[in-house]
Amino acid sequence: MDIVKIPENDFYKFVDKKIAEKSSRIISVVRKGTKFVFDELDSASRMCLDYDVTILPPKKYFQPQKETLLRFVPKQADSYEAVNEFEPITLIGVHYYDLAAIYLMDRAFSEGKKDENYLKKRNNALLIGLYPTHFFKYRFSSSVIKGEQPYKVADLMLIHMDDGHFALEIVTEKGRAYIEGAGCKKSDYTLKEIEDAKNRIKDDQRLPIPVELTPDYLMKNHDHPVWEVFGEKCYSCGSCVFVCPTCYCFDMKDEIDLTLKSGERTRNWDGCMLENFAVCAGGHNFRGKRAARFRHRIFRKGVNLPLKYHYWGCVGCGRCADACTSSIAGPVKVFKYIEENK
Amino acid sequence: MSEKPKVAFFDFACCEGCQLQIANLEEDIIGLLNLVNVVEFREVATGKAPEYDIAFIEGSITRKSDEERLKDIRNRSKLLVAYGQCAVTGGINLLKNNFGDLDMVKRKVYGDDSSMPHLDTAVTKSVGEVVKADLAIPGCPVNREEFLRIVKELCLGKIPRIPDYPVCVECKLKENICLFDEGTICLGPIARAGCGAICPSNGVPCDACRGAVPNPNKKAMHEVLKKYNYTVERIIREMNLFGVNPEVSE
Ligand code: SF4
Ligand code: SF4
Ligand code: SF4
Ligand code: SF4
Ligand code: SF4
Repeated sequence: MDIVKIPENDFYKFVDKKIAEKSSRIISVVRKGTKFVFDELDSASRMCLDYDVTILPPKKYFQPQKETLLRFVPKQADSYEAVNEFEPITLIGVHYYDLAAIYLMDRAFSEGKKDENYLKKRNNALLIGLYPTHFFKYRFSSSVIKGEQPYKVADLMLIHMDDGHFALEIVTEKGRAYIEGAGCKKSDYTLKEIEDAKNRIKDDQRLPIPVELTPDYLMKNHDHPVWEVFGEKCYSCGSCVFVCPTCYCFDMKDEIDLTLKSGERTRNWDGCMLENFAVCAGGHNFRGKRAARFRHRIFRKGVNLPLKYHYWGCVGCGRCADACTSSIAGPVKVFKYIEENK
Repeated sequence: MSEKPKVAFFDFACCEGCQLQIANLEEDIIGLLNLVNVVEFREVATGKAPEYDIAFIEGSITRKSDEERLKDIRNRSKLLVAYGQCAVTGGINLLKNNFGDLDMVKRKVYGDDSSMPHLDTAVTKSVGEVVKADLAIPGCPVNREEFLRIVKELCLGKIPRIPDYPVCVECKLKENICLFDEGTICLGPIARAGCGAICPSNGVPCDACRGAVPNPNKKAMHEVLKKYNYTVERIIREMNLFGVNPEVSE
């Protein structure tokens, strides 16, 4: 993999140039009050690459909160037409754990019948990753992500160096073409310097057991009191799943306009922590208990997805722990409780 | 649909804020009138009709005479919809029920005039406690978009669904900063969504004006609010505002 370098200021100038070119929407991290969000840039000066975490992960660009899939005429069975809206986008400054999550999402939406609405958006996106430059108290990515994961989707990776430069790893040819004209120079950093810069921010939290062992470990603890203890405190508010970069559940809704002559089928975020998520025909709820829902979510991350995709189903971003008003959602806390109450 | 459904709007004890929401639909009011035939609506039109396909009832029931009036409307309506929190649970008017002695309440509010006959008052009831309500549209006031959606769905013969998940869902979809992070408290985790989390989106805590979700975790709410140093009295007051019973049953 080629590595180049560019002074920070020049990188910001380059981003301004890309905004002016208008060949794709340029999206990066900006401030929102005391927190950060991904948003479209009208100027590189708004870009804030020194962030801890964003409220929502970048999945909102590939699986929007609400998305139209069909248009139809009500009560006319053959009237529907498929809708697939996408445009080229460039995402700048995606932390490495969010890249790892995008890879899991890609796998999920490519399985079986491919999800064209997701994949068209994904294939029209250029991803410029970033190693975090800022501490986040709930993050534990380094104990659950393998080094190669981000590189499965990134086109370029930014590494913030101490000397006012970014080192830039060129991962794909698409990435190489993108930064042509940015004025990058050949990198003269040693491998050690690069590795040190990547790992500069140390996580405070770790998963207390090795990720490879979690499927067996959780299966053995299927009936552990932890699920009741944590479930009892759970609101079923869904915050933990909506902010999660590896959660992809959705619901369908039909919306009809006021003339009753045209309608749209939309897909909307949904999540397994909501009380009625598992209600099926006849009104039966096959996951009606808080404890069962709480366990299900942790099992998705620690059993089902790892067995399917060979990578842990949670990327350790810590968003769920931060978003949970009841302070129970973080996987580290759950595993620690099991460890302490064997 | 051959003929447009005949629709009527009625109000009982309320601030009329909900019918104002309907009257203020602006350009959508034309669309609504293309869908339904409004045969009675005191705030915007004169006229009366003997029977209705859909009667929308606003306000809570606080007098014996109102019970009779409501039963009469029910008898003449195919579908009866309670709209607005006053109608759905009793809403703000439920506060009165916390005091037991209603004569005392009346004297406190109306002073010397309290014995006048039109100020007669009884325990606040929701519409559904007096007659069968086929549907309830929550909110103080109702959300216009939700109201329109429900009218459309009724016209198409669909059973309208009201969100049964907490306000936090809509708050997250909008990528708001959680008010708990700003040191404020919020009833969002137990409050019924459907308003688009309009209050937290504007930095104001949710008061659960649409009532609680069907199975709220009040025990967790008490614990979390206590962690933020709220006293039990304060918690009860917060939850009582729109008639969410603060008691933890288990
Ligand atoms: S489970 Fe929590 S920590 Fe793991 S990826 Fe999802 S939000 Fe992040
Ligand atoms: S954020 Fe917390 S309270 Fe809400 S559903 Fe998740 S675990 Fe339960
Ligand atoms: S529900 Fe609220 S807005 Fe509607 S009538 Fe009652 S008090 Fe007024
Ligand atoms: S501000 Fe209120 S509604 Fe929004 S996430 Fe926080 S608790 Fe939930
Ligand atoms: S945020 Fe809460 S108080 Fe505000 S409109 Fe919605 S339900 Fe009512």
